[in-house]
Amino acid sequence: MKLIFALFLFLTISSASVVDEYLNTLTKEAKIENPSFSGFDLKRGEEIFTSKHIGKKGKEVSCVSCHGEDFSKTSKNFFTAKEIEPLSPKANPKRFSEVKTIEKWLRRNFNDVYNREGTTQEKGDVVTYIINK
Amino acid sequence: MKSLILLAALASVVLASSYDKKGVAAATDKLYVKECGACHFAYQPGLLPSNAWQKMMSNLENHFGSDASLAKEDFDSISKYLNKNSAEKFMNYKRSARIVNSLRVGEVADSISKTPYMIEKHKDIREDFIIQEEVKGIFNCTACHTTAQKGIYSEKDILIPNFGRWED
Ligand code: HEC
Ligand code: HEC
Ligand code: HEC
Repeated sequence: MKLIFALFLFLTISSASVVDEYLNTLTKEAKIENPSFSGFDLKRGEEIFTSKHIGKKGKEVSCVSCHGEDFSKTSKNFFTAKEIEPLSPKANPKRFSEVKTIEKWLRRNFNDVYNREGTTQEKGDVVTYIINK
Repeated sequence: MKSLILLAALASVVLASSYDKKGVAAATDKLYVKECGACHFAYQPGLLPSNAWQKMMSNLENHFGSDASLAKEDFDSISKYLNKNSAEKFMNYKRSARIVNSLRVGEVADSISKTPYMIEKHKDIREDFIIQEEVKGIFNCTACHTTAQKGIYSEKDILIPNFGRWED
């Protein structure tokens, strides 16, 4: 029992550290890109996530179109109707557990919604919003 | 002995005139199922010939209007898997053979649902069953074919959302 608890603790800590480390890396990059960088902002992240844009497919979409408004619930892919597991790392421990996966989906999803990749600032803002919501 | 010979003869006739396997070979590669099953179910590689898979893989940045691009090492591994298991290499599976045989010589398919065999099979379905929210398009095989994950597309396993079982 103790062992299971220790393992659980280890897993939560290690997954927390993946996203923290990712945000640290983004912070370093952002400081190089912009000397007056003043940190990532949840409110800006919310705007990035919820605002609608004419995306890559020529349809008006936002991040909400696929991930929904409640990150602790499963949602439906706007284009394919396939279920998407909850985005919140609190509800879904697989989220934000691997930098390669985070980067892959941010690259794809910014392209889908904004028709371009996200900037370092934008990626940091939106991740800060998702993990704190 | 006589009946054994007769049986053997019969079996060879049956084999020669049909496919020894129904459906299409299941998708087994873990990386493929994870990556290519993230936005829709992981289509069996035996649903398209290798030239069609190559064409699709060469433009993942704009994959039916979505960005489905992959890391280099994953791209290489998945391309190899698709190429090794594509339809023309599994002509003993009924669906793979039907799809390949329906294409004109030199024709490179853009999708599974636009191959002549698939168009023919789905031409009698009412448009509103196809475009409804739960289905969205013929691309969504699993929405109607309850056994699609296993590579089985028989008529008896069809259940159309908000309509029910398919009967001729
Ligand atoms: C067209 C649908 C769609 C849109 C629009 C979309 N996403 Fe996603 N997103 C997905 C899918 C599918 C996944 C992968 C789901 C899975 O892993 O099961 C995903 C995964 C993610 C992940 C998860 C990474 C991880 O660690 O698992 C993040 C973060 C994310 N999206 C952020 C965004 C942001 C930010 C936007 C808006 C710029 C956005 N998404 C818009 C479909 C979408
Ligand atoms: C980011 C989401 C996403 C990922 C990842 C993705 N696809 Fe797709 N795929 C789509 C969308 C959207 C469609 C178009 C659905 C439609 O017709 O509206 C599609 C369609 C297809 C079709 C055509 C289905 C038909 O109608 O015949 C095939 C085949 C396909 N994808 C294969 C793949 C393969 C192979 C991979 C992995 C390399 C992959 N997909 C990864 C989003 C994705
Ligand atoms: C809207 C529901 C729907 C979707 C989506 C759909 N099908 Fe079908 N499919 C049907 C129906 C209904 C039939 C039977 C048509 C008939 O017999 O008139 C059928 C027939 C078939 C057959 C022939 C079955 C037989 O025994 O002759 C195959 C193979 C098939 N579909 C494969 C697919 C594949 C692969 C996809 C995805 C690319 C797909 N279907 C998507 C409804 C659907």
